[in-house]
Amino acid sequence: MKLTKRLLMSVVALGIAGAMSGTALAADTIAIITPSHSNPFFKAEADGAAAKAKELGYATMVLVHDDDANKQSELFDSAIAAGVKAIILDNAGADASVAAVQKAKDKGIPSFLIDREITTTGVAVSQIVSNNYQGAQLGAEEFVKLMGEKGNYAELLGKESDTNAGIRSQGYHDVIDQYSDLKLVAKQTANWSQTEAYTVMESMLQAHPDIKGVISGNDTMAMGAYAALEAAGRKDVIVVGFDGSNDVRDSIKKGGIKATVLQPAYQQAQNAVEQADKFIKTGKTGLDEKQLMDCILINADNADKLETFALKP
Amino acid sequence: MKITTLFVASLLAASVSGCKLVKTSNGEGGAAADPIAETVETTFDAKLVPALTEKAVDLATLQGAIKGSLDKAGESYGVRVGGAGGGWNFPVKGTATVLEDTRASTKAAVAEIDVDGDGKADATLQLGPVVKGSALRDTTNLYDFSTFRDQIEYAKLGRALNDKAVSKLPPAETELKGKKVNFVGAVVIRSASEKPLITPVSIEVAP
Repeated sequence: MKLTKRLLMSVVALGIAGAMSGTALAADTIAIITPSHSNPFFKAEADGAAAKAKELGYATMVLVHDDDANKQSELFDSAIAAGVKAIILDNAGADASVAAVQKAKDKGIPSFLIDREITTTGVAVSQIVSNNYQGAQLGAEEFVKLMGEKGNYAELLGKESDTNAGIRSQGYHDVIDQYSDLKLVAKQTANWSQTEAYTVMESMLQAHPDIKGVISGNDTMAMGAYAALEAAGRKDVIVVGFDGSNDVRDSIKKGGIKATVLQPAYQQAQNAVEQADKFIKTGKTGLDEKQLMDCILINADNADKLETFALKP
Repeated sequence: MKITTLFVASLLAASVSGCKLVKTSNGEGGAAADPIAETVETTFDAKLVPALTEKAVDLATLQGAIKGSLDKAGESYGVRVGGAGGGWNFPVKGTATVLEDTRASTKAAVAEIDVDGDGKADATLQLGPVVKGSALRDTTNLYDFSTFRDQIEYAKLGRALNDKAVSKLPPAETELKGKKVNFVGAVVIRSASEKPLITPVSIEVAP
């Protein structure tokens, strides 16, 4: 973690140095702020945004807030002080982030949100988010089918401060709860974390050895749960995740985890940078603030085509 | 946008007309405490069904156009929703023969319908109670995501519209198999080769 941070800081330093180098046309800088890159989903976002920014001629300032709203606020201060032209943000809390985004807006710096929403409109210029409800319904429909419409199952929830945790759970239940022979026997948060999910799954298995399926709010938790099931000799348990990571893709191909739902994270980040570029140049994006992007079911049929949060044609 | 304005206006009107206390829903006669339910009540019959009916393209015409080019068909008859992973939303109508009615065997029940009379199913009508997708919410411009607090609220609306639509369909005792039906609804098409999965707002058994 330390090392990552140091590397990121040096990237920042390079970015700023690049921006300030004495050439006649110094590049404008775009800040890209996301949760920790230890989850490949957020790394894909940051990479997608940085690649597009570079393509459009911007320097980048890549930062991580580790899901800490205070740290996020400090990062906004740094970005504002550095005079960035725009901020691409995957935020650290739907309510807690409004103030930070407002602070940048007050200084004339537009923010473009990806992946997670904030609870206020009119503060960010764009909020481009995956249609988590639609995606969760896709995952739940597949889960119901895999379960044969019956049996005991457990649910792993994401971090409560993140709207996406609630919306996915609701999408799952709006489908699953209509099948009365599917019984939810355990439901617990593992805060999007692989290691936490491992521990939670271990105790769920002890309390409910008759579990037939696990539906997880994201892929890292699905990976943790599957590892615990595997360690307990319970590879028969059906696991379905959400995100579309390469780790889960590989597990699906080996017959481990059964399905996930791809969020087009890479594309989403690129769209945000394109909109930022348009806004910087023309003062508007020409699009609604809130934009939903649909998710795609991934199972053994199409896992081969999945690469770094995008489907190959 | 209009709806939200009206809704806010009615809330304001309610709040200035008399006492300070917020009215809680204690049953009889009170307005719905749930704004989503209220939106569905005030818009489903009054706005959504007329909007879909007015703009609906005949399913046979649409399928012909899609064979040529989905994007061209979309530009002529539909609206684009959901970005790269999304598709074209179309308001649709048609007359068809029901080949199969699965309400006895599954919760996500459907009617397989034959539009062109060749005896093969060329589209599917969702009969519920489990209804997939949010085509009813997304096919018209009546419901604007930006006016909702978050995806959870917006999703609740999608679900509530689906539930309302199911409640308007012929009851399960009405066997649809073998019947000729007229329908109006909405559909999302993501690829030219997929069989349309339509969410109907009305299915009438033809006399």
